[in-house]
Amino acid sequence: LEQIDTRRNGSANCSGDDHEWTEKEQYVKTGEMSEFMEIHVPPKSTEKHMKEPKSFEIEEQDQAYETDGALQWKEGLQQKASEVFLRQQQAAPNLRKHVYGAVSQQDTGESEEKELGGLFRVSRPEKSKTHWADATDCSRFHPDSFHNWDLEEMLNSIADCFVTGKWEEWQDAA
Amino acid sequence: MASHGLEYEGCNFLRQRLVLSTLSGKRVRVRNIRSRDDSPGVRDFEASFIRLLDKVTNGTRIEINQTGTVLFYQPGLLFGGTVEHDCNPQRSIGYYLEGLVMLAAFMKTPLKATLKGVTNDPTDPSVDLLKATAIPLLKQFGIDGEGLEIKVVKRGMAPGGGGEVVFSCPIRRTLRPVQLTEPGKIKRIRGVAYSVRVSPQMANRIVDSARSVINKFIPDIYIYTDHLKGANSGKSPGFGLVLVAETQKGFFLSAELSSTPQGQGPALLPEDLGKNCAKLLLEEIHRGGCIDSTNQSLALLFMTLGQQDVSKALLGPLSPYTVEFLRHIRDFFQIMFKMEIKPPLEDERKGGDKVLMTCVGVGFTNISKVIK
Repeated sequence: LEQIDTRRNGSANCSGDDHEWTEKEQYVKTGEMSEFMEIHVPPKSTEKHMKEPKSFEIEEQDQAYETDGALQWKEGLQQKASEVFLRQQQAAPNLRKHVYGAVSQQDTGESEEKELGGLFRVSRPEKSKTHWADATDCSRFHPDSFHNWDLEEMLNSIADCFVTGKWEEWQDAA
Repeated sequence: MASHGLEYEGCNFLRQRLVLSTLSGKRVRVRNIRSRDDSPGVRDFEASFIRLLDKVTNGTRIEINQTGTVLFYQPGLLFGGTVEHDCNPQRSIGYYLEGLVMLAAFMKTPLKATLKGVTNDPTDPSVDLLKATAIPLLKQFGIDGEGLEIKVVKRGMAPGGGGEVVFSCPIRRTLRPVQLTEPGKIKRIRGVAYSVRVSPQMANRIVDSARSVINKFIPDIYIYTDHLKGANSGKSPGFGLVLVAETQKGFFLSAELSSTPQGQGPALLPEDLGKNCAKLLLEEIHRGGCIDSTNQSLALLFMTLGQQDVSKALLGPLSPYTVEFLRHIRDFFQIMFKMEIKPPLEDERKGGDKVLMTCVGVGFTNISKVIK
């Protein structure tokens, strides 16, 4: 993982956010031609991307050194593959950051204390700022919003979790 | 700092801290426990949990200051044996049992704990749920055998309680590393619809409504109705449902819902309860993974304590409780997990993103286990 991080930082100065990849442009040196290609990485579907040569923009840097445009998309395949890999790797550090990163320090309320008449301090924090540190110790997972399980599409989204759903080819119901 | 071991603030995640402290042998000090609350300090249920830990260990030192806002805990050795404990009815037995399940395998002598109190309430995982999910999970890590059991002797609903649960667990020297990466498909759904001090018909009404939701997916559903009477029915009326989906590979995803305790808010119709509980199960299946959200931290703990080998587990999205637990594991055991997000494939209909958790165990050995 260390290696990947250094590589990523070296090639494109990328911040932790996943979506910022899309705006970043990477200059890639192709092996034989010492020519710079500019690759715009699309947000999601990379496999589709590989099959569509049109979505690439090839900028000629110095001269019209162009090979046949039809095969041009094959040029950076290795590079593209490594980018896909990098992007997948990136999702993990994001979660890691969320878990192990610096915990946002919840203010202890002291800085927010308002003075009343220059004599008294309001020591009770407002209701909305209930202290996370003093919250109920409970292992239940209540997400902020539940899916609407009355909708047919939601029901469909988990259909393959059951033995009655579709099976992978390499598996057998028996 | 060093003389006090680890320091934390606030009463949240107290169980995690005490359990990890007991396992790692590191002292822990918790400050500012509800220091800004109208009634500051440790609550009765927390004191009850600390007393339970004291009962199963030898030589534990606990200091609480006068206002109860500072707690110092120096763990002793896990002893086990036969223990009886009156769990404070502010929280259900599940609250206490969750902590105990994490420790039980590392005792000197096998634990047989009789816990009395509230068996089912809407806040905590109920004993029925832990029985259906935590026990099979323990087996995955090599903690199995005849002695492993959670038995509901008497049921006691919140707020009155009066229930009784017996938890027994064999001891192990080491835990085996696990590879829980392939959940498999759900082959059947089981459940328990319980009712005490209400009409036994309530349970049947729950079963019918829950079936109406999940029958679309799978025909193999069986929901037991459990109606306890007389002395076994506790002090308060109530009903509820626990649903468990079992996959082919022997993993369990669960959901549960319990009726509102008497005198605490509007009553819930059994039909609504059944339907909502079934939807909670669908939500849990949507999250997916090999371990359901309630038991995530238990699985991660045992992965951490495993032998020095790679353990893997596929989980659903991490719950806030689990995220905090991972931080605590880092504090106590210096173990950081590798986390990979596994989005579902495009043509797959298997719910949301999953997380693959990987770690190398610390090679924890139960040194106090008696070798015969």
